[in-house]
Amino acid sequence: MRFTRKAALGGVFLWAFAAGAAYAQQPSGMSQIDRTNQAASKQDPGLRPHATPPVATPAEKLPLDKIKLPAGFKAELWSSGHPGARSMVRGDKGTIFMGSRTIGRVYAIVEKDGKRETKTLLQGLTQPNGLAFRDGALYVFAINRVFRYDNIESKLDNPGDPVELTQAFNLPPEVHHNWKYVDFGPDGKLYVQVGANCNVCEVNPGIHAQIRRYNADGTGMEIVARGVRNTVGFDWHPATGELWFTDNGRDWAGEEGPEDELNRLPKGMEGANFGFPYCHANGVVDPDIRKPDACAGVVLPAALTGPHSAGLGIKFYTGKMFPAEYQNIAFVARRGSWNRAQKFGYDVVIARPQADGSAKIEPFMTGLLDEKANAFFGRPTYVLQMSDGAMLVSDEQNGATYRISYTGAK
Amino acid sequence: MSVVKRASVAALLAPLLVFATGYAESRPLEERAAECVACHGPGGSSSTPGVPSISGQPQFFIINQLILMREGVRPVAAMADVLKGLKDEEAVALAERFSSTPIVRSDETADPALVKRGAELAVKMRCASCHMPGYEGSEQMPRLSGQRIDYMIDALKAYRDDKRPGADTAMTAVVYGASDADLAALAHYTATK
Ligand code: HEC
Ligand code: HEC
Repeated sequence: MRFTRKAALGGVFLWAFAAGAAYAQQPSGMSQIDRTNQAASKQDPGLRPHATPPVATPAEKLPLDKIKLPAGFKAELWSSGHPGARSMVRGDKGTIFMGSRTIGRVYAIVEKDGKRETKTLLQGLTQPNGLAFRDGALYVFAINRVFRYDNIESKLDNPGDPVELTQAFNLPPEVHHNWKYVDFGPDGKLYVQVGANCNVCEVNPGIHAQIRRYNADGTGMEIVARGVRNTVGFDWHPATGELWFTDNGRDWAGEEGPEDELNRLPKGMEGANFGFPYCHANGVVDPDIRKPDACAGVVLPAALTGPHSAGLGIKFYTGKMFPAEYQNIAFVARRGSWNRAQKFGYDVVIARPQADGSAKIEPFMTGLLDEKANAFFGRPTYVLQMSDGAMLVSDEQNGATYRISYTGAK
Repeated sequence: MSVVKRASVAALLAPLLVFATGYAESRPLEERAAECVACHGPGGSSSTPGVPSISGQPQFFIINQLILMREGVRPVAAMADVLKGLKDEEAVALAERFSSTPIVRSDETADPALVKRGAELAVKMRCASCHMPGYEGSEQMPRLSGQRIDYMIDALKAYRDDKRPGADTAMTAVVYGASDADLAALAHYTATK
């Protein structure tokens, strides 16, 4: 199903109206939108999100020696000293642009005279996690604003005033789960995440819990996936061109899930429904928000990626450096759990696509989680393939990136 | 400040700080802290309406807020001047100073009816899961116990109305659509914990 922009706007008015009525029935004082049944949750009520430091870990204290990889692979420090390291895109001239959340910065990492240098390109934005690069321009999506910096790589020291595209994209103002992930698809369209602004609630499918695509100037909006709670990473399969995306499952419904998802949008099914808020994971019916046949017509995930694991960045590997068996398989960074007593994730896994459209999940980069001590040393958020085929992994907790290369099994 | 304390500040600085902000020289801690207490009250405990107490806050919370204000992510006009050129390590030292100074509780009068209502709401809304059972805060979550009621009412409204960009969107999600009356009750209750 495709919604035109007009339809979506109509949805806003309807929603505002319906929402007013629904609110009146809420037990007063509950968050009006969140429908979690606190009383029914059997989880430790003391679970809370882990803090992200606004300052970076010094290079010599980074957990490099903890990182474990399959035989033949090695990890080395690539950059450090940039707090809140998250999404990464590469410019045509080799600049790595990096987005963040809390700290509100966009960094530019450049090589100069054989030395690597990190510049704070932009500052004071609200969670600028959405970055895309096309035709020399850097697109920056913060929660509340959209900018385009033309010809950016020739003015890294003084980016100047951007073209503001906020109005054109007309994204909903709600902040929660709306730190963006964006990327250009093989169709040249700019794909944009719009999360559900709650843990679990009824959303207007015309506005929230979606992936949209736009022309690069913000016109021609279409909804390509609905019922997506919060995806913070996607990529297209190099051979099939199909969209694959991570999606983080709801909290407070148990230690074991519903598990996070790796989804595949089958060709020709633009506008398909992925289940939120009624149907999660592999057909798990929501305990708090019920409707008959909750999973009817829902596209189930290609793979489950574990309870509360927080799968974020995903990239299919097309480089020449890693062994042939890595061609066209996806790397998925899992930032790691908070809504789970026994911590889970904090790693990079492989998703190996299968002939039937599903995927097999296997470990790849581990060691940042000490299961016995129930403690973590870092939080991988995004992966980026470099021109030489090596792979960068960003670590938000430590404000660093690691370069993963293949040196051959010894 | 005792010698022992100084040593612990230095120990904290070392692991935390590398980011070279490229600003001017650091200024002496005493000089900086004196500016803070001019507004935030003696030791960082405020008796001025609208100005929060910063004493007894988790150190992480203070560092976080100072850096977010410096960066312009949380713009606070009143503090723009004092934060000019603030280095990361200065933020860490100020935070250590105020987090280790016990809070003098707000002298505002809490309304018992609102406290009772707030207590019920706080259970349903899971406030203590993040702010800790005694509301003393932890890491990025601020202390609410002893904080000024008027300040917290304004802060809660600001989160609800998407007017306080901050460390996380979690607070906005928690109070989404809550009424002014409920927010006041929550402030009265948590301040008196
Ligand atoms: C001119 C008055 C003024 C000065 C000087 C000042 N502050 Fe503030 N500060 C404020 C006000 C007003 C707020 C509340 C802003 C708001 O409402 O969002 C605040 C907020 C804060 C907060 C956030 C507290 C919270 O609970 O959210 C911290 C931390 C803080 N100040 C630390 C400091 C430190 C450290 C200094 C000294 C370097 C300082 N302030 C100097 C007026 C001042
Ligand atoms: C999911 C965790 C979480 C929950 C649940 C939560 N809070 Fe918070 N709260 C935070 C965080 C994180 C901050 C700091 C955000 C920032 O940096 O602006 C905060 C900030 C606040 C502040 C601002 C205080 C100050 O000094 O600036 C108040 C007041 C507050 N919370 C009250 C509440 C109340 C009342 C509840 C229950 C209705 C609640 N919180 C539930 C995480 C939480």
